[in-house]
Amino acid sequence: MRVLVCVKQVRALGDEVEFTADGTDVDPDYLDAALNEWDSYATEEALCVREAHGGEVVAVTCGPKESEAALRRCLAMGADRALRVDGVESHDPLCVARALAEVVREESPDLVLCGVQSSDSVQAATGTALAGLAGLPHVAVVTKLELGTGSARVHRELEGGLLDVVDVDLPALLTIQTGINQPRYANLRAIKQAEQVEIAVRQAGDTAAGSRVRRMFVPSRGDAAEMLGGDPAEVARRIAEIVRERVA
Amino acid sequence: MSVVVVAEHLRGEVREVTHELVSAGESLGPVSVALIARDPTPLIAAVNVEGVSEIVTLAAGADEFESDTYEQALEALIAERKPRIVLVGFTVNAMGYASAVAARLGLGFASDVHQVSLEGDAVIATRSFYGGKVDAEVEFPGAETVILALRPTVWAPAEGVGSAGVSSLDLSLSPARARHVEFLEPAAASDVDITQADFLFSVGRGIGDADALPELEALATRMGGTLSVSRPVVDAGWMPSSRQVGQSGKTVKPKVYLALGISGAVQHLAGMKSSGTIIAVNTDPEAAIFGVAHYGAVADLFDVVEELEKLY
Amino acid sequence: MARNPKHDILFEPIQIGPKTMKNRFYQIPHCNGFGSEKPLSQAYFRATKAEGGYAAVSTEYCSISPESDDTHRMSARLWDDEDIKNLSLMCDMLHEYDCLSAAELWYGGPHAPCMESRCVPRGPSQIPSDFEYLTYAIEADKDDIRHLQNLYVEAAKRARSAGFDIVYVYGSHSYLPQQFLTPFYNKRTDEYGGSFENRARFWRETIEQVKEAVGDDCAIAVRMSTDMFLGEAGTQLKRDCLPFVELVDHLVDVWDINLSGIAEWGEDATPSRFYAEGRALPWQAAVKEISKKPVLGVGRWTNPDAMSDAIREGKLDIIATCRPSTSDPFLPKKIEEGRLDDIRECIGCNVCISRWEIGGPPLICTQNATAGEEYRRAWHPERYTPAKNADNDVLVVGAGPAGMECAMVLGKRGMRRVHLVDANDDMGGTMRWIPQLPGLGEWARVVNYRKIQLDKLENVEFIASTSLSAKEVAEYGAEIVVVATGSYWATDGLNGASHDTIQGADASLPWQATPDQLMGEGKTLDGERILVFDNDGYFMGVSVAEMFASAGKKVTLMTPLGNVAPYMHFTLEAPNMHRRLHSLGVDIVTYHLPSRFEEGAVVATHVYDEHGHEKTWEADGVVLVSQRRSNDSLYRALKDEIGLDGLKAEGVDALYRIGDCEAPRLIADAVFSGHRLAREIDSPDPSIPLPFRRERRVVDPAFVKAERGWYAEQLAGAV
Repeated sequence: MRVLVCVKQVRALGDEVEFTADGTDVDPDYLDAALNEWDSYATEEALCVREAHGGEVVAVTCGPKESEAALRRCLAMGADRALRVDGVESHDPLCVARALAEVVREESPDLVLCGVQSSDSVQAATGTALAGLAGLPHVAVVTKLELGTGSARVHRELEGGLLDVVDVDLPALLTIQTGINQPRYANLRAIKQAEQVEIAVRQAGDTAAGSRVRRMFVPSRGDAAEMLGGDPAEVARRIAEIVRERVA
Repeated sequence: MSVVVVAEHLRGEVREVTHELVSAGESLGPVSVALIARDPTPLIAAVNVEGVSEIVTLAAGADEFESDTYEQALEALIAERKPRIVLVGFTVNAMGYASAVAARLGLGFASDVHQVSLEGDAVIATRSFYGGKVDAEVEFPGAETVILALRPTVWAPAEGVGSAGVSSLDLSLSPARARHVEFLEPAAASDVDITQADFLFSVGRGIGDADALPELEALATRMGGTLSVSRPVVDAGWMPSSRQVGQSGKTVKPKVYLALGISGAVQHLAGMKSSGTIIAVNTDPEAAIFGVAHYGAVADLFDVVEELEKLY
Repeated sequence: MARNPKHDILFEPIQIGPKTMKNRFYQIPHCNGFGSEKPLSQAYFRATKAEGGYAAVSTEYCSISPESDDTHRMSARLWDDEDIKNLSLMCDMLHEYDCLSAAELWYGGPHAPCMESRCVPRGPSQIPSDFEYLTYAIEADKDDIRHLQNLYVEAAKRARSAGFDIVYVYGSHSYLPQQFLTPFYNKRTDEYGGSFENRARFWRETIEQVKEAVGDDCAIAVRMSTDMFLGEAGTQLKRDCLPFVELVDHLVDVWDINLSGIAEWGEDATPSRFYAEGRALPWQAAVKEISKKPVLGVGRWTNPDAMSDAIREGKLDIIATCRPSTSDPFLPKKIEEGRLDDIRECIGCNVCISRWEIGGPPLICTQNATAGEEYRRAWHPERYTPAKNADNDVLVVGAGPAGMECAMVLGKRGMRRVHLVDANDDMGGTMRWIPQLPGLGEWARVVNYRKIQLDKLENVEFIASTSLSAKEVAEYGAEIVVVATGSYWATDGLNGASHDTIQGADASLPWQATPDQLMGEGKTLDGERILVFDNDGYFMGVSVAEMFASAGKKVTLMTPLGNVAPYMHFTLEAPNMHRRLHSLGVDIVTYHLPSRFEEGAVVATHVYDEHGHEKTWEADGVVLVSQRRSNDSLYRALKDEIGLDGLKAEGVDALYRIGDCEAPRLIADAVFSGHRLAREIDSPDPSIPLPFRRERRVVDPAFVKAERGWYAEQLAGAV
C-alpha cells in the first residue's frame, strides 16, 4: 500500500511585520518556519495505515530548499521516502495542486492524505484541487479513517461537531483534520537519521498561477470597533442579537 | 456581471451562510442561487429572499452533500451560464468541492474571503494570511470565472421574501464515488476544552472577586457559551488555567468572543484576536481590547450582565 | 518591538532634590545578605538592576553605628572608612549606568540585638523589642539623643564620601525615628514624647541636621510606615503620618511610603497568598495628596499597566520595587522595549525574604536563579555564553521547574537540539497543581514564564504525554541525558521525625491520600472530618488544610513540630495563615506524632510524653504530608541497570539528574539546580558545581605580621 502525504513548510508571523519591496508578501526575516500542524496529523495517519496494512509512506512538498525541513520531520516520524517539487513560488493553491498532480501521476498512490488547511494561508483548497486534477474520489475534513478493501469509511466533521459518515472508493484523497490521532514524536536518533536521507527533487512543469496577490498589508483595526451605544439594557440586547446571529 | 451562489443545506434546512452569500453577491451583479439536491423543491422557499434574481434547481445525487455531485453539477452550471463569479461559503462542504472545480476548469479561486470588489472588469478579493495578521488583495488575471469561498458571518444575511423565478438544469451525472451514509451526533465533552467552544464568555480582573463566578458561568451556559478567563483570574486562584485564554494559556478562535472586564493585555490578545466576532465591554474607553474588538461598549460589566440575565 | 505609549509615563525623568532620576523605576532598599562585607557581590547585584534600566538603586538597611547591629541578619554598614571604600564600589558601578545610588541609613534600637558588636542600643524608652525579645534599649537621655542624631549626620557624610546620591533618614518598620513617633515604643514624658509635635521632634531634628550636613549634594529621602496596624498605640496615617508629612515636607526631597511595623512586616512585603499587587497604594496616595514632593512606594509591582495607572492617577510618582526587581532586574528595559512576555514576574512567595529572616544567607529567588549569583558565579540574568560543547543533543526527562529551567538555559546557550519530554499533557510537573492551592495562583508564573521562553527557542522541542522507559531514554539519540523526574509525597507515613513509616499509613486506601493524589490525580476524600498529618514544615500541609476547611470539612492539622509550617514565619506568611486557619475552625494539634492510622481514627502520642500515652482523633479521611521522596527509578535504571557503559554504547556520553529527583527541595532550589547544570554543561564535570567566588578575607604573611604586631602592642604593659 503506498500512501502519499502532501505536506507544507508553513511560515508563522510574530508580532512585528515588514513587507517585501514590491509589497506582495512579508519579508522572510519576519517569518518562522515549521511543519504545518495539520500535516503532522496526516503523516501520523499515513504511518498508522502502513502499520496496519503494510506498504510505504511517501512525503512530498512543493517549495524551495528550506522547505525540506518539513520533509525531514516526516522522515523522522517514520516516512519511508520524501520528494520535493521545486519551482512553485506562488501562494496559489491551484498552482501547488497542479505540481502535486504530476507527482500523483508518477507515484500512483493507493491513498493521498493532505492536511485540511495550512496555518499560514488557510485556503483549505490544495488537497481537494489535487483530487480534482488527479481524478481521485475525495473527502475533506476527515476525523476518522477505516480502510476496507476497495473503499474506506470515513467521518467528515461538520460545523458544530456533527459527523458525516461517508464511504469513499479507493484510491482516494482525504484531507485530514487535527485531532484525528496523536502524532508520534520523533526522537533525536530518528531526527539525526532523517538528516542523512536523500530527498528526491523534481522541477514543477506548469508553474503559471491563476490568482495573484497584488498587495499585502496590515489591516487597520484601530477604530474598527463598532461602539454599541445606549444603556446597559440596549447593550445587552445587541450582544444577545450578535451571539444569536454569529453562533450558527 | 453575473453571480451564482451555491446554496448550502443540511438535513432539509438551508444554512444561514447561503443568505450571507446572496447579500455579498447583490453588490456584484444579478444573483442566481443554485440548489443542488436529490429533490431541491422543498428548499426553494428558504432561498427565495430579497436580492435573488433567479433560483436554479439541479436535481441530482443524494439528499445530503456529496462531493462528486456538487462538482459535476456546478461544472455543468458554469458551462451553461458562464457566471463571472461563483460564491460559496467557506464551509466544510465547500472545502470538499469548490477548489476541485476551479482547478479542473482553470478558474480563479480564493477562499476565506472577507471583502470582494470590482475594478472595472476585474474581481478583487481580500483575504487574510499568516494567522490573520495581514490581509492581501488577490486578483485573477485572465480568469473568466472566479470561485470565491466567503468567510461566514462577515456579510449580513439577506432577508425578506424575494420574487425569484425558478428554473432547472437537467443533469446526468456519474455515480458519486464518496457517498453519504448517515450522521452521528458529536460525543459530549467531559472536560471543559475552551478551544472547542463556538462562543466564549470571557471575564477578566474586572469581575472583582471569585464570588461572581458561579453566576457568570451559569449565564454563559444559558447563552450557549463556555466560560473562559484572562490571566489575572487564574493568578488570583479563582479559576484553573485550563480556562485561561492567552499566550501562556490557550489560543482560541471561537465564532464569538465576549470579553467582559478584560483590558486586553498583549498576552491575552495573542490568545483570542483571531476570533470570528469579538465583543468587548469595559469601563475604560482606552482599553486595548477595543482595538481588536468588532463591537465594543463602554459600560460596567455587571450592569450589562444584569441585563443579559433578564434576556436568558 | 516598540514601547506601548501607555507606558511612556514610566520613562519620564523626575527631579528629586539636587538629583534627577532618568525614569520612574526605583529599587527600594532591600536586603540581599551581602552588606558591606561582600562588596563585589553587593555591587554586581545592584548594578545588574541598573543595567536593566533602573534609575535609582538603594542599599539594604545600612547601619550607622555598631550600636545598630542586626547580626545574625545581614545589613550594610557605614561605620568607618573601610566601609566607605567597600560601598563606593556599588556607587561607582551604578553610576556607570547613569543610575542613582541610595543609602538607607538605619539605627534599629532595641530591634537590633548587637550579637556581633556587643554594644547596647538606645531607644526612646526602655522596652524589650517585640521582634527580638531578649534585647532591651537604653532609655536615651538628652545627651544620648544628641549622640544618636550625630550618628546619623556622620553616617550621612560617610555616605556622601562613598558616592551615594540619596541619603535616607529611615524610620519604617519601627526603627529608631519611627519609634520616637509611635506611642507603642515612646513612653517619654519630656519634649521628645507625648504630643504629636514632641514625638515627631527627634525625627524632624535628625532630618534637619542630615539635610544641613549633606543636603546640597545628596537628596534626602524619608521612609515612613503610614500605618502599623496596631490601632491607637501604633503609628496611624491621619494622626501621625500625614501631619508629619506636612511638618517636614519642606526638608524632604523624596518620600518613601510603606506600611506596617517590624513584627508583622508581611503587611508591607505582602505575600501573593494574601494580597494582590499595589496594596499600599491608598496610603501612598494619601501622602501624595498633601505632599509637594515626589512620592515613591512598593507594592510588588509587576504589571506595567497598573504602574502607569498609579502615576497617571496621581497616586505615586515613582514605582519602587524590591521583589520584582530581584525576579527580573531587567523589568524596566523589557517594558521599554515592549517585550512584556519576557518579564519574569515576581510570584510573591517571599523565599527571598525568608533568607534574611532566617539570618545570614544571601537571598535566592524562585523565579530568578541568578539572583545573588551575579558576581559569585558570574551569572548574568539575560546573557549566556555559547556552550563549548553545543554540538550535542540533549534529552531532558521531566518538565517540572528544574527540567524547564534546564532546557531553557541549554536552549539559550545554543545546544544543537534539546528535547524536553514529560508524561503529562503540559509542562509544569507539580507546579501544574500547586498554584491551584488556596492563594497560590500567582505561583503559576513560574510555569507561564518558562513556557513562553521555551516556545521561542527554536532549538528546544517540548514533547508532551510521553513516558520514556530507561531503554527508550538510552536509545533516544541524545548525547546528554538529564533526568528531572521530580518527587512524590510518601504514601506510607515515612517522616523526618521518626525516620520511619507509620503503621496503617497507606495512601492506596480510599480514605487516605497524599497531596499528589488529591491535586494531581483528582482523588477525593469522603466524609466530614479530615486529619492532615504534616511534618513538611512549609506550605503544603496548611494549604491542604485550608482547602478542605474552605469546602466545609472539619479539619485537624497535626504535626510533631511545635509550630505548624515554621518556614512560613520566614516568608512572612505565618500570621495571616494562622488567622485564616483559625477563622476556618481548623484544629491545630502540635507536638503529636501518629502511632497508627485506622479506618475512622488516628491514634497519636505527644512527642515529649515519656510514657507514650495514646490519644485518638476521629477522622473520615487522612492526608499524608509527612515528607517527599525522589522519583528516582528512571535514574537508577539508567545508572545501575543499563549502566554508564551501556549508555555509552548507545551514544549517551553523559547522564545527570537535577531537582527533586536528586533530593526534594524548595522550588527555588529546583530551578537553581536546572539552571546551574545548564550553565556548567560544558565544564569538565558538570555533575559537580564549579567553585564560586566566596569573598572571604584571605590572610597573607605581611598582614598577619602587622596584626600580630598590633596585638602585641595592645598587651604591652599587661601583667
